[in-house]
Amino acid sequence: MSRTEDGDEKTTPDGATQADAAPPVEFEEEANNRKKPDERTAVSSREEKADARKIVTGEAKYTADYSREFPDLASGKVLRSEIAHGVVREIDTSAAEEMDGVYAVITPGSPEVPNDPYTSAGQSYPEPSPYDLRVLRERVRYVGDPIAAVAAEDVVTASAAVQAIDVTYDERDAVFDAHTAIEADAPRIHDPESVENHQPGADYERNIEAHAEGEIGDVDGAFAAAADRSDLTVVETEWETPHQSHCVGEPHTTIARRDQDDRYQFITSTQVPYHARRQLAQLFDVPIRDIRVSKPRIGGGFGGKQSIVLEPIALALTMATDRPVKLEATRKEEFHAMRVRRPASVQVRSVVTDEGDLEAIDMSVLTNSGAYGSHGLTASGAVGKKQLAMYTHTPNIRLEMTAAHTNLPVAGAMRGYGAPQGHFALEGHMDTVARELGMDPLAFRSRNLISEGDVDVASSILKEGDGEIKAGGRRIRSCGLEECIERGKRAIGWGDVEQPDADYLHRGLGVAVTIQSSGVPNDELGSAHIKMNEDGSFILQTGAVDIGTGADTAMSQIAAEVLGARPEDILVQPSDTDISPFDYGAYASSTTYVTGTAVKKAAQDAREQLFEFAARMLDEPRETLTAHDGAVYAERTGESVSLEAIGYESIYGDEKRAQVMGEASHSTPESPPPFGAQFADVTVDERTGEFEIHELVYAVDCGTVINPDLAEGQVTGAMHMSYELAVGSGFSFDSDGQPDVVGFGDYGIPKADTQPPLTPIFVETHEPSGPFGAKAVAEIPTNGVPPALTNAIRDAVGVRVDNLPITAEKIRAALDAT
Amino acid sequence: MEVNLTLNGEDTTLTVDQSDTLLDALRNAGYTGAKRGCGTGDCGFCTVVVDGASVKSCLQPVARVEGATVETIESLGTQDELHPVQAAFVDNAALQCGFCIPGMIMRVTQFLESNPDPNEEEIREALSGNICRCTGYEKIIDAVQDAASRLSNERAMVSDGGRPVPSGQSCVDCSTCSGGERE
Ligand code: FES
Ligand code: FES
Repeated sequence: MSRTEDGDEKTTPDGATQADAAPPVEFEEEANNRKKPDERTAVSSREEKADARKIVTGEAKYTADYSREFPDLASGKVLRSEIAHGVVREIDTSAAEEMDGVYAVITPGSPEVPNDPYTSAGQSYPEPSPYDLRVLRERVRYVGDPIAAVAAEDVVTASAAVQAIDVTYDERDAVFDAHTAIEADAPRIHDPESVENHQPGADYERNIEAHAEGEIGDVDGAFAAAADRSDLTVVETEWETPHQSHCVGEPHTTIARRDQDDRYQFITSTQVPYHARRQLAQLFDVPIRDIRVSKPRIGGGFGGKQSIVLEPIALALTMATDRPVKLEATRKEEFHAMRVRRPASVQVRSVVTDEGDLEAIDMSVLTNSGAYGSHGLTASGAVGKKQLAMYTHTPNIRLEMTAAHTNLPVAGAMRGYGAPQGHFALEGHMDTVARELGMDPLAFRSRNLISEGDVDVASSILKEGDGEIKAGGRRIRSCGLEECIERGKRAIGWGDVEQPDADYLHRGLGVAVTIQSSGVPNDELGSAHIKMNEDGSFILQTGAVDIGTGADTAMSQIAAEVLGARPEDILVQPSDTDISPFDYGAYASSTTYVTGTAVKKAAQDAREQLFEFAARMLDEPRETLTAHDGAVYAERTGESVSLEAIGYESIYGDEKRAQVMGEASHSTPESPPPFGAQFADVTVDERTGEFEIHELVYAVDCGTVINPDLAEGQVTGAMHMSYELAVGSGFSFDSDGQPDVVGFGDYGIPKADTQPPLTPIFVETHEPSGPFGAKAVAEIPTNGVPPALTNAIRDAVGVRVDNLPITAEKIRAALDAT
Repeated sequence: MEVNLTLNGEDTTLTVDQSDTLLDALRNAGYTGAKRGCGTGDCGFCTVVVDGASVKSCLQPVARVEGATVETIESLGTQDELHPVQAAFVDNAALQCGFCIPGMIMRVTQFLESNPDPNEEEIREALSGNICRCTGYEKIIDAVQDAASRLSNERAMVSDGGRPVPSGQSCVDCSTCSGGERE
């Protein structure tokens, strides 16, 4: 693509020139990392998902399925605020306490309930998110804030007890809209005295959780120039995105108990066992070692289970009752009392030449954090910086972001992490610019997009936030975007649309290009331990958290590729903080890229050890050995010794005995972006605004595909969520902040009969810094459907919907206004 | 109170609370394959088959199944010998987190009994009460189509007097018998 060289003159946000500081294109890669498809034995094959059979037989156990293992288990229930903003003046728990079968009722004043603030954001230490939550609250800030909790002999009793608690509130004025919330006269939601917030720009006088700005070049200068010149065009657009629920299949569930060693054990549906352990220890002032978090099967996370929401309440109840306690969120609680995707308002302005070269982009983001801050700075920043990376050649870029508090549900991490909101705005904007110039939207993109060998400085435009890319920017060592576009065009029939016969029906195509990261740069750690059994199989332990994605299977394939074993001979243990090596957890698309590399290194360590045995057994030099097909082969003689023989020899041999055990950690400043192109094919009925999507095609470059079945599932599953954000998302609240969406029936989750067909396409590239060339894939396909769809509708009927969800009424209204 | 029913082919007496739903009663008795995703009849994770009809067990008061025949996921195949519908889900990678899958499979099993040769639209319609948050449904639709052909092969062989395919095995890549190529 055309503007690669321009970037080298540009200064980074830190003032260093890229030529000084940019990481080199070359990456020191181990010889075995780059294998042609036909040389791969375990990687890139459609291995059966390791837990598939126990899932289809109903034997896979999720947290709630462990209940029967604890005969004295108590059921917990949480009393949640019925008002959006105020103070609990009085709380009378006496009737609840007297009920038969009630073991304990806890309130903010109970001795077991910590009074210090914490953050529910399960991030690495020190968390960027503010400490602004209490486990139970007197001061309530949204409908759903936990006030008290009950443990009882069963759920029915616990629910009855919660209802018997009598609460009197002093209500305060509430604010629900982010724009209103940052006005000087809006009701104040937080008292800065009782919050610990290290995020930049926090201003509780104006309900601002975080604010940050960054600039490359001279944006005002570029707009001033455009005002005087006829060959420069200025385009301004505005975009709105609503709440989205993770709709995890398995509601948040946790079982807490004290064990015979006087330690606290959790079986819990979490994406972050280690962060949960550390945060619980800190909050309850218990040594880290006295908490154990085990993760069973997890029924989906999508970022929702990165938050530590129920565990603190369950622990307090366990302490109060000295019994195991189970807390299981209801679907209603899932919708408004767990975490949600933050709504965003985005303004984009740009300057572009007649030829279609971007001269300036100015992006301003306001997000609605809801009542408490979790991921406010980092996810709101991502609304801008993630996708600006694609247009890094633009000489002048500015990004400004504000995260505002309101009296609505709490925003957290959700698949895509700000990028879906940002892609809607930026890719919708780029389409608008192309049409203004009379250019094909893809021709316009190709003049401006990033490509292989380039340096991305735009994604480090904000200096604040977690895991910043260091000065000098990010070198793009793999980028299949051009081919993604080509393959996607072919699949959707770009430029070749047959119009329906009826003159009121109009068919159109839309596209959006997309980007994400592979883990948080400079802020990840994955580790792995692998030991050999005497039969030549291996037990692999990682802290990686398979939340349903199939990460365990992918890890076994990576290890098997190194060891010459079959993937089914690598048994992966679920993460458990007492047993597995450390891992930051399942978020930021990090597992395959970061933990996968740790697994590869650990397997290599083990292979070195087993080669030592093999060299002796074959009487050949170890440098000449290779491992494949379940055995180790000598190059010269072609003779082999099986992994099983090596396994027995290592443990029962006469000469030397040592168990083969490999281990490694991996942490990296790299975070190579996967790329992709989303296409939508739609027919709109101009009489009603109703539309039908014929197909959604997504072509993705995620480097080497470790397991095509699993990767396809990630892409179609993420496209489903992206489609929901486009057409089905959004919560409504009444004027008091009471949520209208309390169940699946009120929310636009796509079902089998409403979900349009989804076509995933893989464009393989080789990312030298990833395990066998892999990058991330789990989040990126959540980014593209809203912009591709608004662009397709614009193509079909000439009007644009710039606020989600896209509905027939909005299209109809836009058509009426023309 | 006690409820008598035929559960997965066996005469069973469950000791339950009056207010229990069928889902509560099953899970309390250790049949935890059926999952609770909502409790309001909207997700389908709790689907079981009652007297031949697929039913959302979270909506069914347990007292109502007195005398009924109830089948749960536990009645189908084992990990070594999967039922054809289960095998189709495994072979088509039609699952991720798996939380929806037991309910989905019970719905599919019952649906294919009533419509052994469905087209895609009928499949989508039949699954409209069973949410899946992970897969985007594509592979699930493939699995249902595959399951339909596995089941019809099985039936064809039986009426042929041929050997039925043991559940859990497909006719492709199987060396148990000489014939039995899939048509
Ligand atoms: S739990 Fe029964 S339909 Fe959701
Ligand atoms: S596989 Fe996770 S909900 Fe269907």
